[in-house]
Amino acid sequence: MNHVEEKNNMTTAPAQRVHVAVVKNLIKTYGGKGFQTRVLKGIDLDICRNDFIAVMGPSGSGKTTLLNILSTIDKPTQGTVILDGQDITRVSNRELSRLRRDKIGFVFQDYNLLDTMTLQDNIALPLSLSGVSGKECVEKVRKLASLLGIEEHLKKYPYQLSGGQRQRGATCRALVTEPEIIFADEPTGALDSKSGRELLECFKMVNDRGQATILMVTHDPFCASYAKDVYILSDGKILCRLSRGGDRKEFYDRIIDVQTSMGGDFLCQ
Amino acid sequence: MRKLAWINFKYGFKQYLSLVISLAFTVLVLFNFQNLICSGAFEILGTRNREYVEMIINMITFVLVCFMFFFIWYSTDVFLTRRKKEIGIYVFMGLSNEKIGKLYFLETVFTGLWALFLGLFFGALSSGLFQMILLAISDLTVEIHFRPGLKPVFVTAGIYGAVYLIFAVKGYVNLVRSSVLGMISAAKQNEYVRQSKAILFIKSAAGTAVLGSGYYLAVKRDQGGAMGNALAAVALVTAGVYLLFGGLIPLIFQTAAGNKRFLYKNQRILWVNSLIFRMKKNYRTYAMVSILLLCSVTALATSFAMRGRYDSIIRFENTYTFQLLSPWQELDEQAAAVIGDGNDIVVRSRIPLLCVDPSYVNTKYPDSRYTILSWSDLKELARETGMEFPIAPLGDDQIVKISHLYLMSLITDKSGITVAIGGRTYSQVEDISIPYMGYLQENMNFYVVNDEEYRRLRSFGEELYACSYRIGDPGNFMETRDRLDRFVAGLEDGHTARVAIDPESNELDWVKVMYSVCIFMFLVFVLASGSIMFMKLYNDAFEEKGRCQVMLKMGFDRGTLKKAMKAELAVAYGLPFAVMGISSFFSVGALARMMFTDLTGVNLVSVAAVLGILVLWYGLSLQACEKNAGL
Ligand SMILES: Nc1ncnc2c1ncn2[C@@H]1O[C@H](COP(=O)(O)OP(=O)(O)O)[C@@H](O)[C@H]1O
Ligand SMILES: [Mg+2]
Repeated sequence: MNHVEEKNNMTTAPAQRVHVAVVKNLIKTYGGKGFQTRVLKGIDLDICRNDFIAVMGPSGSGKTTLLNILSTIDKPTQGTVILDGQDITRVSNRELSRLRRDKIGFVFQDYNLLDTMTLQDNIALPLSLSGVSGKECVEKVRKLASLLGIEEHLKKYPYQLSGGQRQRGATCRALVTEPEIIFADEPTGALDSKSGRELLECFKMVNDRGQATILMVTHDPFCASYAKDVYILSDGKILCRLSRGGDRKEFYDRIIDVQTSMGGDFLCQ
Repeated sequence: MRKLAWINFKYGFKQYLSLVISLAFTVLVLFNFQNLICSGAFEILGTRNREYVEMIINMITFVLVCFMFFFIWYSTDVFLTRRKKEIGIYVFMGLSNEKIGKLYFLETVFTGLWALFLGLFFGALSSGLFQMILLAISDLTVEIHFRPGLKPVFVTAGIYGAVYLIFAVKGYVNLVRSSVLGMISAAKQNEYVRQSKAILFIKSAAGTAVLGSGYYLAVKRDQGGAMGNALAAVALVTAGVYLLFGGLIPLIFQTAAGNKRFLYKNQRILWVNSLIFRMKKNYRTYAMVSILLLCSVTALATSFAMRGRYDSIIRFENTYTFQLLSPWQELDEQAAAVIGDGNDIVVRSRIPLLCVDPSYVNTKYPDSRYTILSWSDLKELARETGMEFPIAPLGDDQIVKISHLYLMSLITDKSGITVAIGGRTYSQVEDISIPYMGYLQENMNFYVVNDEEYRRLRSFGEELYACSYRIGDPGNFMETRDRLDRFVAGLEDGHTARVAIDPESNELDWVKVMYSVCIFMFLVFVLASGSIMFMKLYNDAFEEKGRCQVMLKMGFDRGTLKKAMKAELAVAYGLPFAVMGISSFFSVGALARMMFTDLTGVNLVSVAAVLGILVLWYGLSLQACEKNAGL
């Protein structure tokens, strides 16, 4: 196994770094006796405040599985996941729900906006359901929507919006509760390249403004190049970590290089 | 092909379930009714009531078949839209429209047969119980022999089969004619959602006007045109309710959703939006359910009112057991002695009356028997018998009508009536139905004038004495009547008439049948409206599943989602209930006018009964919907 590790000296000073999530030796197996597949084979991962991490890997490498475990939707077979200071393997389902609602924002591949309500209501939904007053909801939603450039679409229903607009709406919904961390599973997967780029610009912007910690999984190197750090996942393990220095183009080339150097199984997605 | 249909039927059984249940329900209702007809339960009423009973049966059969028609139409339509997209996938497998249509047709036939079987099975199980309940309600004093036969089975299967086939064929034609795109996008009807405010506003205004005029017609008093009014009111209220759900109610909800301070509170953001989202698709259902509920509450109120009226008519008619009309005043003592032999005479009265020749009388509704009473004599009679006497002293041109209790009357306006007798026109100041003259009031027109007028009118008719008696023990009726008859026959004057009222006569039993049938209708309507609502919500809840999963993922707890669903279902049932409650005030009001009585209590009790049943339906729907939505 060629485990490449690049030294990361460009990010913020260690003293300021606050851990949002710590993953140790995470193992996930599917299936019962005699018919087991080990999907994640010991993952270690630290996520700190204001990180923008992309986990990149080919299809079937366990990205979604990893994300689901980190976001407490699924449970690990072995290992510990500490989220917001709590070990999620030792917390009741009720607590997990609460954790998801208050500390985590989700951006799904297929948007998952509710088609029963307008974009405005969709974005306000998590706030409204956690008891924030109507006035405050409206205010926050408007601010975020104008930040992500969808203010004029707030009164529309999801079916009246393009995929890109929907996904930015979904991002708004994830951001509106000011969660500790945002998990995004192939957020550009269903978008054309232009909308995809716009969305990633949005991600980058809110991250740069210090408004969000993002963990994104993707199979697309271009998509990954928007992140500050890229972890390459293959065959259930993290093979290497790349950190962006300055330019995104240069970072993209580096990712492609590493991808090619690893050859074989990576290219066939 | 047949195999594919069978496999589809077997695996899609759960989805078919709501269709099967609702179809089976209509079969059950029809079967029970047919069974009731064939069981001979009506025959015991004797030939005298046959006419009425046959009329009632025909009326109800008509209503039931209409109901079945619409119900099957509705449930197959819901089913077709849902099946269309699933079955439409076969387009990609290269099946032609005809083949797909045939597939659907076969599936529906399987479903229909299965429903028929279930309906008959449960119908047979429940029929005994059902008849017992009905007869217990109507408390007919006759034994019923249950005669299970094949006739109701065949009649039910025949009617049901014919109606069902129409809609199965309709579905087939629909599929054959639909485009490929239309078929696979049948489910993606997201384009409803919010409706333009202007249109909603127009609809609201129209709805309010139409509904208002319907209500107005329902309660308007009228001298004879009440039937036409009632029919117009039914049409207007029906149209008005549709417009209400198509206009005003969505308008209110959309406005509410626009007010974010209202919307972003508790779970409103979920259920209010959900209701608006489905409103355009569901408003016909809400309207139909409201109207069915209105029918059911009116049927129940009619039943209660009839029951009450029946009791009072019986009491009215049995004010006296025997009545004699004779020119001889002294007959009273002799007859009392004959009747009193071995009997307690509990009520007794004697009053002179004037039988006026009809040629001297002119009224709006001509009759052959007019009888005049004097105010003081009647007051004396009321004192003797202990009845109330609310008639104020009369002027020379004033007259009071003493009528019998009607079951119902289409003449709801009794003001401004005049009566001309013996060349003088009196204005009728009151029309009261206190049984001063007992059973005689059923057959004669009694008018009260003041004493001077009475004396004046003597020249236009013949004066007789009405002597009336009620005996304490109804068991002695036959024996006493025979004795009295012998006495009257022995009088050999030929001018004395005898009226005997058998306290145990079943002459009015058809009214009992009528009110038990009304209860039957109530049950049918309330079950139908409940099951239509249930089906609708049951199907909608499937759509909810995906949304709930997303929200659970996002960390909203089940409790919140359940609460939102509770609120949504409560509104779904509450809206038609509210519309029904308000409308019932008018429909029962119309009934009260036809029966000349106050039915407010009956109205409230009936609405409460419907509420009770709806609460049960609500609980049932909540269970099913939570399950379907995966909560
Ligand atoms: N619920 C499950 N049961 C069994 N195997 C699963 C389940 N979910 C995912 N897998 C398997 O785990 C592997 C990783 O899946 P996933 O995490 O979805 O990959 P990715 O998102 O990277 O494409 C796949 O081989 C998949 O077949
Ligand atoms: Mg995946």
